[in-house]
Amino acid sequence: MIIAIAASENHLKANVDPHFGRCDWFCLYDTETKKSSFIENPVRYHQLQAGCDAALLLIEKGVKMAIAGRFGSKVIEVFKANNVQMIIPQTQQTIAKIINSFISQ
Amino acid sequence: MARNKKDRLIQMAPHFCGFSPQGVQSKPGSEVSINFEEYEALNLCDYELLNQSEAAKLMNISRPTFTRIYESVRRKIAKAFIEGSYINFEDGNSTVSDWLKCDKCQINFTVTDSTGNFCPICKSQVIIDNK
Repeated sequence: MIIAIAASENHLKANVDPHFGRCDWFCLYDTETKKSSFIENPVRYHQLQAGCDAALLLIEKGVKMAIAGRFGSKVIEVFKANNVQMIIPQTQQTIAKIINSFISQ
Repeated sequence: MARNKKDRLIQMAPHFCGFSPQGVQSKPGSEVSINFEEYEALNLCDYELLNQSEAAKLMNISRPTFTRIYESVRRKIAKAFIEGSYINFEDGNSTVSDWLKCDKCQINFTVTDSTGNFCPICKSQVIIDNK
């Protein structure tokens, strides 16, 4: 399963970004190979529909779980229609901490 | 007896309690209360830039009702800005849609058909339904 985490910078000690559509980077973590990679968010400066475009991009890459501080209402509909699970951490967390919690399952 | 208000559907409650003006002492009785459905109306209309009928559909209310809620939140914010009063968020006639909560991991999450009804991180079944 591939997990997408909205990141404010492209390293593992960065915080989870508070906004899904307009974050600078996405961290893609594969639970089978246990490898993480970073991709730049190409749609972050779009005036409209940035969240939807980002969501469709991630769905194309086979993402099954998305983590961010906040999801917009349109993004929620897109993810629900494509069976993607969404997670919102209630406290500020680093990406490394979230990935560790999946490793230690 | 007046008919009960229909529950307004909101995606997420605000994650903070309110706003305070700088350099002003709090006077009792001068706070402005904004409830969750008003916060959601402002979010959908002015932050996510939906039009009012789309936003009304998302909140499961009619378009005129949505306009009334939106009008009321704009007046309240204007009042707070001009008079320099505190803004508090409080619960109204609203339900939170589809989000579940795990207290141990401190996360909110949704479930899909392929995932089970348990927390995705700690796999515990002890979850709180926000409804």
